[in-house]
Amino acid sequence: MKILVVEDNERMARFVTKGLKEAGHTTDHAENGRDGLFLAVSEPYDVIIMDRMLPGNIDGLTIIDALRKADNHTPILILSALGDVDERIKGLRAGGDDYLAKPFAFGELLARIDVLSRRRRQDATQTALEVGDLRIDLLARKVWRGTRAIQLQPREFQLLEYLVRHAGQVVTRTMLLENVWDYHFDPETNVVDVHISKLRQKIDADEERQLLRTVRNAGYMISAEPPPVT
Amino acid sequence: MTRVIRSSAVTLATGYVLLAFTALVLFAAPLLYAWQETIKDFRFEILQEDSQRLAHVFDLRGPAGLKAFIDERVGMQIAGERMLLLSDAAGRPLAGNLPAWPQSIPAHAGSYTLPVTLDGRHSMVAMVLATLPGGYRLLVGRDVDRFAPIERRFWYGLAGAVAVLTVAGLIGALLIRRALLARIQSTQQTVAAIMRGDLSHRLEVRSSGDELDTLAQTINRLLEQIEQLVHGIANVSNSIAHDLRTPLAELRSRLEELALTRPPVGETFAEIDAAVADVDGVIRIFNALLRLAEIDAGLRRSNFVETDLGELVAKAVEFYLPAAELKGLSLTLRDAGPTGARCDPVLLAQAINNLIDNSLKFVAPGGHVELEVERLAQGLVAVTVADDGPGIPEGDRPKAAQRFFRGDASRGTPGVGLGLSLVEAIARLHGGSLELADNHPGLIARMIIERGTAAVAGDPRHPRINPDRPRRDAEVTA
Repeated sequence: MKILVVEDNERMARFVTKGLKEAGHTTDHAENGRDGLFLAVSEPYDVIIMDRMLPGNIDGLTIIDALRKADNHTPILILSALGDVDERIKGLRAGGDDYLAKPFAFGELLARIDVLSRRRRQDATQTALEVGDLRIDLLARKVWRGTRAIQLQPREFQLLEYLVRHAGQVVTRTMLLENVWDYHFDPETNVVDVHISKLRQKIDADEERQLLRTVRNAGYMISAEPPPVT
Repeated sequence: MTRVIRSSAVTLATGYVLLAFTALVLFAAPLLYAWQETIKDFRFEILQEDSQRLAHVFDLRGPAGLKAFIDERVGMQIAGERMLLLSDAAGRPLAGNLPAWPQSIPAHAGSYTLPVTLDGRHSMVAMVLATLPGGYRLLVGRDVDRFAPIERRFWYGLAGAVAVLTVAGLIGALLIRRALLARIQSTQQTVAAIMRGDLSHRLEVRSSGDELDTLAQTINRLLEQIEQLVHGIANVSNSIAHDLRTPLAELRSRLEELALTRPPVGETFAEIDAAVADVDGVIRIFNALLRLAEIDAGLRRSNFVETDLGELVAKAVEFYLPAAELKGLSLTLRDAGPTGARCDPVLLAQAINNLIDNSLKFVAPGGHVELEVERLAQGLVAVTVADDGPGIPEGDRPKAAQRFFRGDASRGTPGVGLGLSLVEAIARLHGGSLELADNHPGLIARMIIERGTAAVAGDPRHPRINPDRPRRDAEVTA
């Protein structure tokens, strides 16, 4: 993927671009709002990572606003030290697609970029989802593993649906909290892990192939592919 | 400061003296004028009568008779008190106590006040001139200067009064200044001591209850509030210093050890992971503190929306149920159905989750955690989390909601000691309070908030000025 990083802090920019390159993406870096806006309108990017507070007169939200007005719908992830819920809402209203507060774990950023870049390909009118032999009927809200029907609580269904919609991508605990429970804070205990292990019990127990796996230091991923051998 | 006081006291005194002086003059001037006029009229009246009597004598006895009459009177009288002069038509004196017809005396008959030189003495003389038949002229006069000492005494009296007033004014100014300076100096000393950092000082309040005392009392109340705030800040700063320093010290020693010992790669990465976890811990504390500050500032009132509290609690219970089951606890909700409230759902969700989180952490396997949503009187609603865990000792309960407070039972559990203070702050933002009670055994944590229907909520843009004082009625119902 081709990713534009608009970030004025040199160290932070190096950290992000280096990590993205290691994950197999190509990156461009702009260190102020003017260059950022120029690059964003002149080059096609898959995702833009945008800092909010930038030197010069043009800040991140202004760039996003300008892009959206110019009918440019490149997915934008706002990366900002302003982490309040209010600020998040402001960022998303301005046209950002996702919001991540600094400081952040790189795995979280990578996972969110992955989700963003594929969002456009999703079909909202889909009625069924599949990963390997796991099938979800979105209309009847039923789940099968092969021929075995799986009974899920409503929230478990939502959790599985979110994971399957992002099959093959890493989904972090924060993303699950935000998207499945709509919780915008960090519970002190590992409650999400318990939900996942319960879900894993239901879909992967006694199965030869494990679909739902934990990605160390990042989150979870549901995938039919076997985990890469490291 | 001293100069201002001095000048203000002296200005005040000078003003009063001037005012008194003006009043005195306003009183004395017309009096003096009236007095002088009356004496003058009276004097001329007497002279006129005298002159007429002499003219009558002249009519009866002729010039020689009048001359004899005048000579007789002059011989009996004290010189100077009464001036008499009779002259013939040519102006030659015939009788009287004046040696000659004085110069500069007008020829016409009438009343005059003129300077006259008599025996080498100049004096003002009031006189009546009369022309008698046959061209004889008669002068009857009186020395005006004889009254000068009386007038002088009047002026001396006035000057004396002014002097007394001035001295009294100056003494008054000095006394006022001394009293004022004493009060101001004591205030200054107190304020200086406070500015040096000792906030326990208070202004002196006398029993007199005057305006300065009222002012001192007001300032003392202000100082009390400032002292409380400063203590609060100091407590928080100490707690922050302690609770952030601990993980930071751990992190530092971990990294330093890593740099010194240079362990094998696998071990190094494990240490780095641990270091990142340390940093995450610090970030979590920061986030909690920031959110607390944000709530305390009352900024979040703008996010209040109509929310079903019952649903919020049910969702939280459902969220924690797997974790509770895993620990072997029962987590139940006594369902009260939909309970609408006007609140910040994000914050309330966090508060409810913190309460459940807290209970799950402390209750031993096999224990129970029960939640309840109840509507109370006076537009209040309570979310209660009751458990049968170790509870909080009665002495610790008031402190439990303080920032960074961690009871003995919490040693060795995760968390930074901000959970309950966050709940308390959120409850306060919603016009309520957090109450902790004994569940025999265990803890009952009861978060009370206003349901905030239009009448109760007030203007969300104007949060209550003093969020530190929870509404009293919230406690009456508990």
